[in-house]
Amino acid sequence: MSEAFDREEYDRLAAEFRYLITDMICRAKSGHLGGALSLVETIITLYWRVMKVDPANPLWPERDRLVMSKGHAGPVLYVALAYKGYFDKALLGTMNTDGTMLPSHVDRLRTPGIDMTAGSLGQGLSAAAGMAMAARMDQRAHKVFCVIGDGESNEGQIWEAAMFAGHHKLDHLIGICDYNKLQIDGFTDDVLTLEPLRAKWEAFNWHVLETDGHDWDDLYDTIVQAKALTGKPTMILAHTIKAKGNAVCENRPESHNIKVDDQAAYDKYMCALGDIECELPY
Amino acid sequence: MEQPKLHELEMRAVYARTLCELAETDPRIVVLEADLSKASGTNPTFSTAFPERFINVGVAEADMIGISAGLAVEGKVPFAATFTPFASRRVYDQITISVAYAGLNVKIVGTAPGITAGPNGGTHMCFQDLAIMRAMPNMTVLSPCDCHELRACLRWMAAHDGPCYMQMIRMKQPRVFDEGYEFSAEQAVRLREGADVTLVSTGYMTPFALQAADDLAVEGVAVDLLHVPVVKPFDATTLVASAQKTGRVVTVENQSIIGGLGGAVCEILAEQCPVPVKRLGVPDQFGEIATEQYLFDKHGFGPEHIKAACRAF
Repeated sequence: MSEAFDREEYDRLAAEFRYLITDMICRAKSGHLGGALSLVETIITLYWRVMKVDPANPLWPERDRLVMSKGHAGPVLYVALAYKGYFDKALLGTMNTDGTMLPSHVDRLRTPGIDMTAGSLGQGLSAAAGMAMAARMDQRAHKVFCVIGDGESNEGQIWEAAMFAGHHKLDHLIGICDYNKLQIDGFTDDVLTLEPLRAKWEAFNWHVLETDGHDWDDLYDTIVQAKALTGKPTMILAHTIKAKGNAVCENRPESHNIKVDDQAAYDKYMCALGDIECELPY
Repeated sequence: MEQPKLHELEMRAVYARTLCELAETDPRIVVLEADLSKASGTNPTFSTAFPERFINVGVAEADMIGISAGLAVEGKVPFAATFTPFASRRVYDQITISVAYAGLNVKIVGTAPGITAGPNGGTHMCFQDLAIMRAMPNMTVLSPCDCHELRACLRWMAAHDGPCYMQMIRMKQPRVFDEGYEFSAEQAVRLREGADVTLVSTGYMTPFALQAADDLAVEGVAVDLLHVPVVKPFDATTLVASAQKTGRVVTVENQSIIGGLGGAVCEILAEQCPVPVKRLGVPDQFGEIATEQYLFDKHGFGPEHIKAACRAF
């Protein structure tokens, strides 16, 4: 770990992320809470410490790209983009409202900073592979990050893209699997096991790294290491906890998509975050 | 050695040659195949001329559409081809979300449309692609009828910023147009002028429709023959003007009669100029391995059926 790192500041940022994500979803009366909360540290690490981006110029050709293939994790990305200055934080309160620029599933045509549309699972990794292929053709040095879900990895297209990227040795491409071990209907091991997951990606000719997806040092070191790897694409298996930080639904399948019908439900989900001081920007 | 003339070539060779011409001057052009590069004609013509811009994804059509979308995000203009069923219904969601909904400039080419899938039979005989691609917002849907129009369509698609789906007949086609053909994406082509009946065709059926119109002229039936290379957006103006003149319309297509060319014509006429319409094509059935004549006779959309339908009006 070479750069200066203020752990307390990052912990506070992560807490604010969780507060805002939960509040935004509750205001929308429903939403994909679990898979957004499991990605908080990953997305902060990417946008604050690793990715080369310019919020004033979202389409800057030299930037690192991010494809959120598990498109329902939009809320965590929206908080990151707003905090980085891609758009006004006040807009976070408009998620999923009529005419919104922040739809539950990411949409490149609506939101500055969203590099690719996603929401129909399994498709983003192919697009990221195409973007990595273009980067190679154009002899650019940037990376294309692609966040996939573990449940999403049930989709056959993930493995088509895996085979393609492995075959073409697309080292512009870094995948991150949000391995929180849960999908809508239950634990991945009960619905459709992914194991041996590391061996699968290795068998598809990828470098594979593993990290604790909530440990700042481990995440940062792993992603930095991934950026330096060449000759193959890299898949990072980020071991995470679904709905991390929200006590009522942490590591529970129900956290995938919560319904918030009344004030009692709102209070339940907000109180479950613990003692977080955060002023809503909207 | 002089290059063969365009009309002496198979359509797939015209596809490959035109893509090479385009790629010479437009560095954005890339070609994708899903293990059917020889069937599509781009291997070896394009693949050897531009190996770095030729991507064979293997037998993975969904991945091909996604990769194309990613290339388009980065400003490339991908042309992705495979057999019609795999370029449309197999990847309908990928095209819908990763291409059309995402607003990406991807060109999808469905080869061997309808009964031209011939010896591959029912599994490969797709009769729905015009209908389902037409139902997709943002999508331009094309079905050129001969080599000159194919080349013109490809040039237009390369210049046009937006997703396109094009049916491409692979084999040699009778000439309908000549080198001087000027393609318009907004206008249907009036191939014969007449006041007795409007005949609307597209793609593979246009040479048959043309022959039928000429035969009918000898019999004294004057056909207003409209060839529609762009099935969506549809040139309603020309269609309605013709229907107002003739008062009766026959459509013919190498597709199901549900939702494709005939469907589009009925939608427009029902609202703007209600006149009797007879749709010729495949009446809600699957394909099968058979000769063209057998399929024409079974489903009733060959040249004789076209003439009979026009006469019946």
